[in-house]
Amino acid sequence: MSQPISVSHEMDLAWRYASGEAMERFCAGLTDGRIEALRCAACGLRYLPPRPFCGDCRARLTEWVAVGDEGKLEAWTEVQVPMLDAGTGRPRATPFAIGLVRLEGADTTLNHFLAETGAGRLRVGARVRARWRSERAGTMADIECFEVIG
Amino acid sequence: MNARHRRRPGVWLAGAGQTGPAAADSRSIPEMVLAAVEAALEDAALTFDDIDAVVTASVDLYDGLTASNLAVTEVVGAVMKPETRIAADGLCAALHGACQILAGAYETVLVVAHGKASMASFPELTTWAMDPVYLQPLGVDFETCAGLQAQALAAFDERAERRWAELAAERRRQAAGHGVAPPRTAEEVLASPIVASPVRREMVAPRADGACAMLLRQTPGGRGSPGGGQTGNRTRITGFGWDLAAHAPGDRDLEQWAGVGRACARAYQASGVVEPADSLHLLEPSCHYAHEEELFVRASGAGSGPCVSPTGGLFAGAIPVAAGLSRLIAADRWLRQRDEAGCALVHGSWGPIGQGQAVVILEAAA
Repeated sequence: MSQPISVSHEMDLAWRYASGEAMERFCAGLTDGRIEALRCAACGLRYLPPRPFCGDCRARLTEWVAVGDEGKLEAWTEVQVPMLDAGTGRPRATPFAIGLVRLEGADTTLNHFLAETGAGRLRVGARVRARWRSERAGTMADIECFEVIG
Repeated sequence: MNARHRRRPGVWLAGAGQTGPAAADSRSIPEMVLAAVEAALEDAALTFDDIDAVVTASVDLYDGLTASNLAVTEVVGAVMKPETRIAADGLCAALHGACQILAGAYETVLVVAHGKASMASFPELTTWAMDPVYLQPLGVDFETCAGLQAQALAAFDERAERRWAELAAERRRQAAGHGVAPPRTAEEVLASPIVASPVRREMVAPRADGACAMLLRQTPGGRGSPGGGQTGNRTRITGFGWDLAAHAPGDRDLEQWAGVGRACARAYQASGVVEPADSLHLLEPSCHYAHEEELFVRASGAGSGPCVSPTGGLFAGAIPVAAGLSRLIAADRWLRQRDEAGCALVHGSWGPIGQGQAVVILEAAA
């Protein structure tokens, strides 16, 4: 039986994504250590990260509200299999933990890394606080991770 | 028009909205799409609540995002509603919307397509839309295919390049003021750099950013407005057809757009069009290269009678994926402004040298 032929390709393509007005303001706020959400005037839901439109109410979002940098862990997982780090293009070192955090003043949860792994202090409902980087560039990475505080 | 056609339920163009074409829109894709959708709703005097279903057109490769419709789910009003997404030209999305209405599934369908050529190098991306085992390793992309086709046409037609240059110059002149590229003379077109011989840079419709939205309805007259919104709802789809050719250019007769001919035959039959040259007043083809317009006119059987691309066609700005829907909007505008009965043939294409072809017949009442 003959060996199947395989053709390998390496794609080297780049895309430039426009972040949109809402994410631009959100990221600018991160530089100053400020977190803001957009509130839907129809249903009252405070979206974090902010987005231009409420899919449930089909309404534009324009009302900015301040959000604290502390909140509650709604979900978490410890990753053991290396996943691609979009920032470097290389696998991220494992293990690491990632969570969904409901910050005070927001109604949706924010995806971000957690400072520790393991089921010791990580639990649904745990209080967490943002650990800010000292040098910020207006990206999600301005928050290094969330730490359990109680 | 025959009796069978007259009994058939119609698909009416209730309202249209568009952003672009723009050389580089700084807005995000959802922002562009939302602006187009809101404009269409306003045009139709309808609201998001009036929409029963949504059909979107987007291509993951072009957006750099798998499941590229996920980026626009909210802004097309698809949350908690049926949405269908197709990875083909936006005109094909409109045909799928029309099918849903004709099947009796929905009364009002929103059709949306978007493209953002400024996000990446479009010609490079098209390499990855080719067969990965045979054609990609050879570096074949859409521009290469267009060059092969144009060369096949020009080989025994020494006037071809001059004609295409004059055509490109005319379309660029018509697009001046609302397009993304400055006008050029035929001499300037012929002096522009070769992309893939004999296709020169200025014979290629300039790529652009934009979003198009069209509201299709089963009946004339807007729900929220007894007058049927600002459109007056005079225009309806009376026939359509689409067709796929073999993928490899080598499997096709490059000297004709047979797929357009087959798609047109289906559309003409549905519309009761017997003599397209007599019945059609307007052709709005999606021609990404000047030579494609000649192929289209020949394949459509429309002859020299109908007006062709009076606002410059895609030479105003070819929005990837949304190109065909932009032609539907242009034809709708033309028929509205005409203020008398009229019939238009609208065209969209996708894939290398028009592997996929779609056409729509529009009829406007007096």
